[in-house]
Amino acid sequence: MMADGIMEEDRNLIRRHGLTELIEHWAIAISGIALIITGLLELPIGRRYYITEIPGFSWAGDYFITLSLHYAAAIVFAAAAFFHLFYHGLRGDNALLPRRGDIKASIAVMKSFFGKGEEPPFHKYLPEQRLAYAGMALLIGLLILSGLIKTYMNLLNPQLSRVIALMATWTHNIAFVLFVFAFIAHLAALVIKPNRPLLRGMFTGSVRLDYARRRHPLWVEAVEGSVTNSSIGVTGDEEVLAGDIEKHAGADSVPSEHRERGTGFETSEPMEKES
Amino acid sequence: MTIISRRNFLQAAAGLVAATGVAGRPSVASGSPGPGDLATLIDCTLCDGCVEHDVPLCVSACRERALEKIPDPVRPIPEPFPRGQIEDWSERKEVLDRLTPYTQLYVEKVDLVIDEERQTIYIPRRCMHCDNPACATICPFTANHKYPNGAVVIDKNLCFGGAKCRDVCPWAIPQRQSGLGIYLHILPTLAGNGVMFKCDLCYDHLLEFQVPLCVAACPRDAMIIGLRRDIFNEAARRQDRINGYLYGKTENGGTGTVYLSPVPFSEINKVIAKGPGQPHLDPVTRRLARAVFLEASVLMSPVIGTGAGIAAALIAMKTRGTDRGKTREKSTGKKDGNLNNDG
Repeated sequence: MMADGIMEEDRNLIRRHGLTELIEHWAIAISGIALIITGLLELPIGRRYYITEIPGFSWAGDYFITLSLHYAAAIVFAAAAFFHLFYHGLRGDNALLPRRGDIKASIAVMKSFFGKGEEPPFHKYLPEQRLAYAGMALLIGLLILSGLIKTYMNLLNPQLSRVIALMATWTHNIAFVLFVFAFIAHLAALVIKPNRPLLRGMFTGSVRLDYARRRHPLWVEAVEGSVTNSSIGVTGDEEVLAGDIEKHAGADSVPSEHRERGTGFETSEPMEKES
Repeated sequence: MTIISRRNFLQAAAGLVAATGVAGRPSVASGSPGPGDLATLIDCTLCDGCVEHDVPLCVSACRERALEKIPDPVRPIPEPFPRGQIEDWSERKEVLDRLTPYTQLYVEKVDLVIDEERQTIYIPRRCMHCDNPACATICPFTANHKYPNGAVVIDKNLCFGGAKCRDVCPWAIPQRQSGLGIYLHILPTLAGNGVMFKCDLCYDHLLEFQVPLCVAACPRDAMIIGLRRDIFNEAARRQDRINGYLYGKTENGGTGTVYLSPVPFSEINKVIAKGPGQPHLDPVTRRLARAVFLEASVLMSPVIGTGAGIAAALIAMKTRGTDRGKTREKSTGKKDGNLNNDG
């Protein structure tokens, strides 16, 4: 059974993200973390709080070094963000864009995490993921715009109007604080057990098919049905990796059951326990 | 040529208007007097340190303004966590041999022996008002800013006193007074430690078409202010005349202050007092100049990302079109197997 299980698990996958999306995500994530660290070190905290005395961190009090590192990370961050905007914009990928009713649905999903009510069936993304994406995109947009103005001032026009300089600086600072909170919330979402199977997708590009059937039936249905409609979350990168998809939990009946009952938790497949 | 000293003070207002192009202009958003950098020439061949006075007149005038403008710190001054380093000059306002919040300009007497000849030189020291001042551009709150007239000004209402400006200034000019400023209203022990002070070229006077107080106070016209190109031309003319030396024209990528001396500044630098609040006269290169490539790359990154995004999207759409054809072919002969989805 063990061998069968492993084999079955090996094939029990659905591709969720292509290589391009993975590269985009990690470019933004890694450069974003570097920007948070070097951004914090633009404040006079390195020496005051003994950070420079941590072995290997003597550079943390040298603003020319921290700023150079901030610039280097910003190049990756801004390039990846603009790549994302144009790549997905031109392809018409809109699965992550918020839709009508997402706020209400998000509240229902949040409640379900605390045992109140059941989750509705999901498309490729959860409604709160779509809302979080919009919020994060806004913050990233503000950070990049204000950062570019500040860089322009540093490089080409130190005598920029003070009003513009102040607006850029304070937009950058406030958006930075919100970005840190958003980043923490992004990580905190993984603390919620039902979300954890999605983590695999950000590393390998695939998630478990049984998980997807249970929680994202609308998406799986679209993938299996080869529905040509990106608005329901199919971007063209998805691919069911199982050799025989029908082995996995009654493919033909699940989506409709989900829609009717609003949940697929009653399946007997081994999966993450919902709380 | 628009050069202003104490003697032509009456012409100064009109001259400054002409120099900065303010006359008749509506107030601009930045609150600046207008385009056209001003520069000052400090002629050490003329400065005699006001030996007949207890305190050089430029220093007195500058200090009077500082004493008026700087409010008393709160008592007790909050102890900054974790180092507890308070910088309180309010009990030592009389210190005149270095820069402090209250002494934003001091005059150093330098005794030199050049070619077996004893010489005494007096050097007024203050902020150089750099062309691209890191103290201003990388201030985390834009409390420090370089205005279009060339003055680099710290806004005492917005400064947290973190002293980043002092750390990045090649001469460590700005000086901190703890117990003042906005930090007291936020996290007084955890963030900030007062307000930074330095020469602001009497920015408020410039706005009222008046020259800086030190320039106005100098009885020997050892300091003159005017349009940058005029001042630099005048400095070059005087340098040629005495076969002298200049300092500040190219330092830190260029500054708005030029010193003229009859002896090399390297010689003066050997004997002047150097230390906290006592700036050196070393040659200075602008450290951030090394980051120019990075800065330019940051500005180009949206273009690079956009270009790559468009190219990748076109390739993906083309590939998808090809795959669609292949999938159709496959699906006609085989029902199961891997499924691809076109979006």
